Amino acid sequence: MSLKNVNLTEVVKRQYFFKLKANIDAMSSLVFLQLLAMLFSMGGSNSFHSSYDQVALEVSYFSGDVIIGFTMIWAFVTAITITTRQYRNHDFSFVTNRLSSSLSNILFLLTASIIGGITAILARNLLLVFKYIFSEEQIYGIPLTFQDLLLGVSATIIYLFAVSAIGYLIGALVQISKAFVVLIPVLFIGMLFIDGVMNRDPFIAYVFEFYVMESSFGLFFVKMVSTAALFFIASISILNRLEVRR
Amino acid sequence: MTILNTEGTKPIYVQIAEWIETEIMNGHFNSDDKVYSQYQLAEMYTINPATAAKGLSLLVDENILYKKRGLGMFVTADAKEIIMNKRKNYTFKRLVQEIVLEAKRLQISEAELIEMIKSAQSEEGE
Amino acid sequence: MKVIECTDLAKSYFGKKVLNNLSFSIEENKITGLIGRNGVGKTTLLKIIAGFIKETSGEIKVFSERPFNSLNVSANSIFVDDQMSFPPALQLYELLEAASSFYPNWDMELAKRLFDYFSFDPKGYHNRLSKGKTSTFNAIVGLASHSPITIFDEPTTGMDASVRKDFYRALLKDYIAHPRTIIISSHHVDEIENLLEDVLLLKDGRNHLHLPMEELKAWAIGLKGPTEKIQEWVNDKEIVYENKIGTNTSYVVVRNDFADSALQSARLAGLEITAVSPSDLCVYITNQTKGGIDDVFKER
Repeated sequence: MSLKNVNLTEVVKRQYFFKLKANIDAMSSLVFLQLLAMLFSMGGSNSFHSSYDQVALEVSYFSGDVIIGFTMIWAFVTAITITTRQYRNHDFSFVTNRLSSSLSNILFLLTASIIGGITAILARNLLLVFKYIFSEEQIYGIPLTFQDLLLGVSATIIYLFAVSAIGYLIGALVQISKAFVVLIPVLFIGMLFIDGVMNRDPFIAYVFEFYVMESSFGLFFVKMVSTAALFFIASISILNRLEVRR
Repeated sequence: MTILNTEGTKPIYVQIAEWIETEIMNGHFNSDDKVYSQYQLAEMYTINPATAAKGLSLLVDENILYKKRGLGMFVTADAKEIIMNKRKNYTFKRLVQEIVLEAKRLQISEAELIEMIKSAQSEEGE
Repeated sequence: MKVIECTDLAKSYFGKKVLNNLSFSIEENKITGLIGRNGVGKTTLLKIIAGFIKETSGEIKVFSERPFNSLNVSANSIFVDDQMSFPPALQLYELLEAASSFYPNWDMELAKRLFDYFSFDPKGYHNRLSKGKTSTFNAIVGLASHSPITIFDEPTTGMDASVRKDFYRALLKDYIAHPRTIIISSHHVDEIENLLEDVLLLKDGRNHLHLPMEELKAWAIGLKGPTEKIQEWVNDKEIVYENKIGTNTSYVVVRNDFADSALQSARLAGLEITAVSPSDLCVYITNQTKGGIDDVFKER
């Protein structure tokens, strides 16, 4: 039987298409989560009440925040899920090495982020449309241009991709030691706690400021994507040493 | 090695060789006929082709078969004679030894043994 | 050509040695049986060859490269056991199609025929198959992959006798049509002995014997007779197994380095000489004691 040479790109491509099919369940849970989020958002995310003489005023804000939040949780969980032993073993039933397995996972997560981002923004708009149709109250909206929409979608995709990079790294760490299941939350909460005790702004605020408050989209993009890349590279080098099917 | 052959658990390749010998004795293969290849034998008996090849080369060593490069194994002109001789001088001789040994264990006398052989022969003749 | 080469290969899990200074090589296009007791490191060895796990020390070369993380080794080998896992979202037929996209030598025609022969439902799911059916499906993937190195680790787990027979025959026929390097580990030595060209016997994490099957069959002989007489014959021999039958009869299995004439005179002296079947021999060799389970009950 003659040996066949394969190249990495070819294998990654096959694995990617295989994973799109194999992980179809992740997409159905996305739909479910977004529907749930829409339901929660129906009542408005924030409201205030005031009355003056005979006039009662009730203002509710509607936004896609809950939907986007849910989608982020979904991206996080999906990323962790595909680092688990079970998912890795699926790869090793066929042709793979650890690098190709991770690269195809990242491509899958990127695809998931794109789908998640688009559907999240669409769901948000759908929510507004529902409100227009079924609500008797007056709806005021900031008019959205196509450019705004595009910007919203892109930003959401980048957020989701970054969140999945965090999930993937956490998942990878847990694969080398189960201690990280405890260690990571302890570290996270512990730091918040120490910041609280020391009476200073929590570190998370700086992180937030550095990434989220960035007003230039270009810079935001560069910051987010390079951080995600860094996280993925760290994950790849962790997973690259991992034994499978022990 | 040869001692083991009488013991029922004959190696497969010996069994293969003996089967081909029997086919030659029966006239199924005549001289210069092509016999089965190692792969055909392997399939027929569900055995490793290397084992089948060993059976064939056993017959080549005994000049029962000859090899034509790239064509296969063929029956030699004196195959029948060689097989007959071999069976007489080895297989049959050992069988007789076996009988003698068992007769000794059962304390059957020489005269008794010869008598038994004679009566078996006459039964066969009827 | 050697497709697998091990030198001083060792593997430890949490400080416990599973494989220990294992050295051997496997020739191209041979069917090798990997034999040994439970826990002796057969699966560990096979998983190192497949590149699933790392060697702790020593060297392993598959197609002249280290298998761990090698894409070439992965593309040209397959590891089949009953733990093979597939995405639960895919139907059996989709799994065959996926396998066909990954394995460069995949034979879809063969896969389909075997799939139908063993009456699998194309729309069925892998995780709903019974134990025996799971093994059968995995074996189909293993055969149809036509991988230059095909590894079967206990492939017949749960299969009934007739499926096992079919599998062995399918394996042999496909091997004849497409010769390749095949390694089978199995507890059913008697069932696979005729398929094998070579045997690699592991004991205590290292290779104890590596030789052609036909040589293994002649490697030892059994002697049966009066105990004193037996003692006389075997006192300078390597005893593999001994068992007392009744008060003064012994059955002893020894390394067969007797001359034919010596055996002949042993027979004439009234000893019964028998061949030892490979499966019995493997049990005797891999036993920790010469008497086997009987030693446990001795002199109580």
